[in-house]
Amino acid sequence: MTKTTIPVGPFHPLLEEAEFFKIHVDGETVTGIDIDIGYMHRGHEYISEGKTFTQSIFLVERICGICSTSHPIAFVHAVEDVDNVEVPVRAAYIRTLVGELERIHSHLLWLGLAGHFIGYDTLWMWAWRYREPVLDIFETITGNRNHYGMMRVGGVARDVAPEAVPPLLETLDMIERKMDMIAKAAADDPVLKTRLKGVGILSRQAAVDYCTVGPTARASGVSIDVRKDEPRDAYGLVDFKSIVLDSGDVYGKLVVRVLETVESIKIVRQCLEKLRTAPGTILNDVKEISAGEGIGRYEAPRGEVFHYVRTDGSNRPVRHKVRAPSYMNIPTCAASCKGIPLADALITLAAIDPCYCCTERAIHVVDGRGARVATDLIRLSREKTDRLRRELHG
Amino acid sequence: MPDQEGFLRPLAGKIGRTTEKKGRLYFEVADENLLEVVRYLFRTMGCRLSTATAMEMYRGLEVLYHFSHDATGRYFCPRLVIADLKDPKAPSIAPVVIGAEWIEREMSELLGITFVGHPQPERLLTRDHPKAPHLPLRRRRTK
Repeated sequence: MTKTTIPVGPFHPLLEEAEFFKIHVDGETVTGIDIDIGYMHRGHEYISEGKTFTQSIFLVERICGICSTSHPIAFVHAVEDVDNVEVPVRAAYIRTLVGELERIHSHLLWLGLAGHFIGYDTLWMWAWRYREPVLDIFETITGNRNHYGMMRVGGVARDVAPEAVPPLLETLDMIERKMDMIAKAAADDPVLKTRLKGVGILSRQAAVDYCTVGPTARASGVSIDVRKDEPRDAYGLVDFKSIVLDSGDVYGKLVVRVLETVESIKIVRQCLEKLRTAPGTILNDVKEISAGEGIGRYEAPRGEVFHYVRTDGSNRPVRHKVRAPSYMNIPTCAASCKGIPLADALITLAAIDPCYCCTERAIHVVDGRGARVATDLIRLSREKTDRLRRELHG
Repeated sequence: MPDQEGFLRPLAGKIGRTTEKKGRLYFEVADENLLEVVRYLFRTMGCRLSTATAMEMYRGLEVLYHFSHDATGRYFCPRLVIADLKDPKAPSIAPVVIGAEWIEREMSELLGITFVGHPQPERLLTRDHPKAPHLPLRRRRTK
C-alpha cells in the first residue's frame, strides 16, 4: 500500500521560523499529521539564568519578533509576583497601551497572511497597508517599530508625552475606519464565508483537552482570556469585551481576531486618553528581589504567555520557565486537520497563527523513495477559492 | 490562611502543606497521588494546564505543574519531588491531560526524567539532531 507523506518545512526562504509538519494523506484527504519542533530552540531558559532581571527583559523580548512585548510583560509580572511589587498607574496604562498595539499589528499581520493563502491578495495588501501606521505609533511611543524595550520590573522605561497623544488618536481613528471596512468586506463576502466556514473545526472538547489558549480556544467556545481572568496593569480599568464564538472553524478564528482588533483599538484609545492627564511616575524603584517563586502571564495575540521564575535573593533567576502560546496551540492541528482536504490543510494550520509560515513548499515522498517537488499548498488553496468563486458568481 | 474557599478540601490527605500567595497555591504531592490530584484539578475543577517546570534542586528533581483555574484567575501548582537522581521517574499525566504530552517530552529530554505511561516517549526538540546535547539542564544544583 502506498502511503503518501507531504513534508512541509522545516526550512524555506519565506519562513520567518522553522517548523516541520509531516502531513499524511490518502488521495486528497489528510489522514494524520506529525509535528516536529526544536529547529528554533535557542536555550533562552538557560541563558536567562546567567542574566540579571533587567537584562533578561531584553532577552525574552527576542523570543518572538511579533510578540516582542508580551514576553517581557509576562516576565516582569513573574518577577513582581515574587515580591508583590506594585506598578504606578501611569506605567500600568503604558503597559496596556503597548500590549494592545501589539495585538492590533499581530492580528493584521495574520489577516494579511490568511488572505494571501486563500487567494485574497486584496485583503493581504489592505491588512498590511494599515498595519504600517500601527508600527508608526510604536515608533513614536517607544522609539522602535519592534523590540520596544519598554518593560521594567516595577514599571516602564519610557513615558508617553501628553502632547504626543492627539496625533496618535487621529492615526487610531483612521485605523479604526479601515478596520471597519475590512471587517465589513470580510463579513459580506460570500466566497470567503463558503471558503472558510466549516473548515478545520476544532471542537470545544478538543480545545479543552489540548489546553488550547487565545483566539484558537475562544473560537471554539472556551471563554478564557488572561486580560479578564486575571486583570493586571490597566485591564481592570478599561472597558472591553472578550470575543468568544463557538464555531471552532477557520472562519470563527478570523472573526474572533477581527473583532478583537476592534476591541484593542478601543482599549488603546482609553489608555491614550488617560495618559493625557494621568499624573505620576512610571517606575517604582525596586532595590532587590527576595528568594521565592512567581508566576507571570499575559494575553499575547496568540494566547496566554506564561513565565515562571524561582529566585534566591540574588539579582538573577535560578530557574526561568517560558511557555509561549503556540506551544499549546500547534498540537491541536492533529485534531483539526484530520479528515479535511489537502487544499484546506494550509489555512487550517495557519488559522492558529503559529509564529511561522512554513507552508509554501511541499515535496511528495512516496514509500520513502524518491522525492519530487509536486504540490504547492498555497496554489491548491487558492485554486479552491477560485473554484468556489466561479461557482458562486457564475 | 491558604485555600480559604476550600478548593483543595477533597484532596485532604493526598497533598502536603499548601502555601498561598496572591492566588497561587503551591503544594507538594507524592507520585502515587499525582494522577488523582491531576484528575481532580483537570476534570472536576475544570483547570487548564498552563505548563510544567522541572528543575534540579539539592533534594532532587522537582516537577512543578501549573494548573490555571480560569474562572477565578487562580493557579494550582502541585509539586512532585523525585529524590532518585540516577534514574528519575515520575508518572505521566499525559493520559489524563493531552496538553501535557509535549512538556513531558521536553522535561524528559532536558533533565532526564522518565515519565512512565507517556504515549509517545520521544525527544521533542532534538528528535533528528545529529548530536543532541545530553541532559543540558542537569548537574546544576540550586537551593
